[in-house]
Amino acid sequence: MVKYAHLIPLFPFAAFAVNILFGRRLKKASALVSIGASVAALAIAVMAYIGNACGGEGSYTIGRWISFNGFSLDFGVTIDPLSCMMLLVVTVVGTLIQIYSIGYMHDDKRYSRFFAYMSLFMGSMLGLLLSDNFVMLYIFWEGVGLCSYLLISFWFERPAAAKAGMKAFITTRIGDTGLLIGILMLFFTAKTLYFKDLAGLGINDATLTVIALLIFCGAAGKSAQFPLHVWLPDAMEGPTPVSALIHAATMVAAGVYLVARTYGLFLSQHTSLTWVAYIGAITALMAATIATCNNDIKRILAYSTISQLGLMMLALGVGGYEGGTFHLMTHAFFKALLFLCAGSVIHAVHTQDIFKMGGLLGKMKATGWTLIIGGLAISGVPPFSGFWSKDEILSEILKGGHPVLFGVAALTSLLTAFYMFRLIFIVLFGKPRSELHAHESPAVMTVPLVILAAFAIFAGFFRPVKFEFLTMGVSIAISLTGIGAAYAFYILNNKLLPASLRSRFAFLYKLVSNKYYVDEIYDALVIRPCMRFADIASGFDSKVVDGAVNLTAYLSVIAGKVQSWFDLYIVDGIVNMTANVTWLCSAILRRFQTGFVQNYILIAFFGLAIMILIKLIGGR
Amino acid sequence: MIPQSHFLILGAVLFATGLYGALTRRTAIGILMSIELILNAANINLITFNKFLGGPDSLGQVFALFVMAIAAASAVIGLVLVIAVYRNMKTIFTENMNIMKW
Amino acid sequence: MNGLIRQLSDIVNNYGLPQDFVVQASFYVLAGLACAFAFGVVAMRNIFHCAVSLALCLFCVAGVYLFLNAEFLAIAQVIIYVGAIVTLFLFAIMLTANIKDRSIRQANRQVLVSACVTAAILSFFIYIITGNAWKTPAPGAAVLAGPGLDDIGRALMSAYALPFEFISLILLAALVGAIVIGKVKK
Repeated sequence: MVKYAHLIPLFPFAAFAVNILFGRRLKKASALVSIGASVAALAIAVMAYIGNACGGEGSYTIGRWISFNGFSLDFGVTIDPLSCMMLLVVTVVGTLIQIYSIGYMHDDKRYSRFFAYMSLFMGSMLGLLLSDNFVMLYIFWEGVGLCSYLLISFWFERPAAAKAGMKAFITTRIGDTGLLIGILMLFFTAKTLYFKDLAGLGINDATLTVIALLIFCGAAGKSAQFPLHVWLPDAMEGPTPVSALIHAATMVAAGVYLVARTYGLFLSQHTSLTWVAYIGAITALMAATIATCNNDIKRILAYSTISQLGLMMLALGVGGYEGGTFHLMTHAFFKALLFLCAGSVIHAVHTQDIFKMGGLLGKMKATGWTLIIGGLAISGVPPFSGFWSKDEILSEILKGGHPVLFGVAALTSLLTAFYMFRLIFIVLFGKPRSELHAHESPAVMTVPLVILAAFAIFAGFFRPVKFEFLTMGVSIAISLTGIGAAYAFYILNNKLLPASLRSRFAFLYKLVSNKYYVDEIYDALVIRPCMRFADIASGFDSKVVDGAVNLTAYLSVIAGKVQSWFDLYIVDGIVNMTANVTWLCSAILRRFQTGFVQNYILIAFFGLAIMILIKLIGGR
Repeated sequence: MIPQSHFLILGAVLFATGLYGALTRRTAIGILMSIELILNAANINLITFNKFLGGPDSLGQVFALFVMAIAAASAVIGLVLVIAVYRNMKTIFTENMNIMKW
Repeated sequence: MNGLIRQLSDIVNNYGLPQDFVVQASFYVLAGLACAFAFGVVAMRNIFHCAVSLALCLFCVAGVYLFLNAEFLAIAQVIIYVGAIVTLFLFAIMLTANIKDRSIRQANRQVLVSACVTAAILSFFIYIITGNAWKTPAPGAAVLAGPGLDDIGRALMSAYALPFEFISLILLAALVGAIVIGKVKK
């Protein structure tokens, strides 16, 4: 069963090829091609998962890829619980999102291309999950990056979308460069590129730390960790199914997956692990606070994603491998659900501002209730899936003995529950805040929502439940507090309390609602200096270089005046004479240019006759 | 016996005749026929040299066979072109086939 | 060698004529006819007649091949040229209208110059050919063993197998090309 695992990415790739080549002909059928490929991939992924879970069959190699100079690299397939779980998550979520896209994208003019890109995206991600060495991983890694660029700027007619795509590409590229350097360093110091060799490399700690940090750099870029998180909120310019795919299953999961996959490298020294933990903590808290103040439904979810990814990194950083990867899975389900719900809402009301919505629960039953389920799952209310994974993370942090980090994680969870229910209360309850003609989305969109909601409820039971009552109690208390606060702020005391809070903590509010000015800091530290340097260069250009040029020009004008007289009478005379002579010659030569092939052949043979004659006379 | 030079002269005469035809014919079919004559002149020379210089070796004759095959191929393509041009331009005269010229 | 010609000369021999004389006379007659028909190809006004003249000329050349120890080529010449190519020409002539019309001028305006150039080249050729000492077989030793049909076949399949394959490829390409070009597009 496991032996066919390498076929999993091939189906989406084939679908991509078919759709990109014959998309125009296929029209609406291209969705079926993509979905069919995804379902086939899902079927094999399920077989691989069962095979791995029951028979314990593991990784295998397909064949030799590169062999030079004593070094060789195989096409290998990694099959272990982590990759099997992720394969399942990606194929399930990807398939559901593609089905949902039929409804969401139904009147888009680049319909088939959208599905082609979606398939390519899924194929790259699946390949990334299966690769057993850094080179293959890097190839698929870049494939994922490329697809994110293509899909985020899918509506490239909108300048914001085109810019967001570029921002995503360039920001992740900074991380990717680190990853590439890390891979090369690993190759030159340890002479291996296989993940399975990472546990005991036998090189000194300092080098190992540098390599691990460089690899984490790549992961941070893809998973939108501070300070490379800026691209993710802007990525909301893409179609909502793309946002769902990026946030739940593919792009951002790749970073966490990379850290988990190369965990041996991080475990062998503690410096880099600490970095991972603290970066994760900073990201988690920062993004969660931003999410509480944002008004754009998709951006709230985007910051929520960043925050949750930070939590996963934090878990990995304190040694909670199980908790981090578990949360990666549950998060994939409920975040995909939340995004698809948001897409459904946007599809219905054609706005993304939550303060223009309200009271939608009555009009959109399926979307509303699934959104609530997703909210409960992400807030960590038992028995929804988020509760189990978040609880495991919290208890692992506590076990690792990091009280500060535990505090951060707890605060993040509180904020998560708060901003999530702020969104739900504003969007679904109360009275409509503007003229809206909301209607429920078609079944092709709501059915995936219901299926994902089922996953969001039950995904927590995929692994044996561990009862640790202390942290459980704490985390239940935290999430209920968050929900309660949201209820108090936005239902009971509609708008009054937030306003007073806002004025009391004006400075903090400003800081948070401006996303900690990270974009502005980048602007000031990186973009402005570049622009200023360009300005200085252009100033040098306009003053010094142009001055020299102008002086030369002035001198030339004077010289030119002298010359023009000379030109007019003497040179022109010669030129005219030349022209006349040329005209005369050409009038004669023109006769030979008849444009008549047989004429040319005749002349050629005439030449031949002359040549033979010369040879006969002179050659003897 | 017949001397070699007589065969060669026959070849030369055929070649010259063919050349004259290729230079003067107005129709593409006429030019093609003249070219067939030239190819035949070449064949005569090939076989002649094979006989007088080659002895039992068969290179000249084999080559002549190849020339025949090429001649057949070129005749087919040429005639099809003539027909295609005739269908499109309603002319068979080479001086009228000038839409691709300047 | 020359089974055909020898039989012919044997028959003639019975009437008391010298063998060499008969062989030579038949060669010159054939060569002369070939030249005459060739001239017909390039000079006649009716292009249909030209094609027939071409067929006869090629037939005479095939006869000339017999004097050159090339019986197989002679047969091949008749089959390929007279049987196939000239037939093709006739088809092409019939497919393109007005071409048989005698009133149409068949030669272009450079007839005179072409004739001069061609005549010059021909005279140079003849001058060169006659001016050189060619290897002439001694009288009576006319029976030089030439390559038989099996030699040609063996050579085609061994030493010249690659060019042979290429020729077949070219023929195939010509076939496909002819169909593609000749197809009437809708």
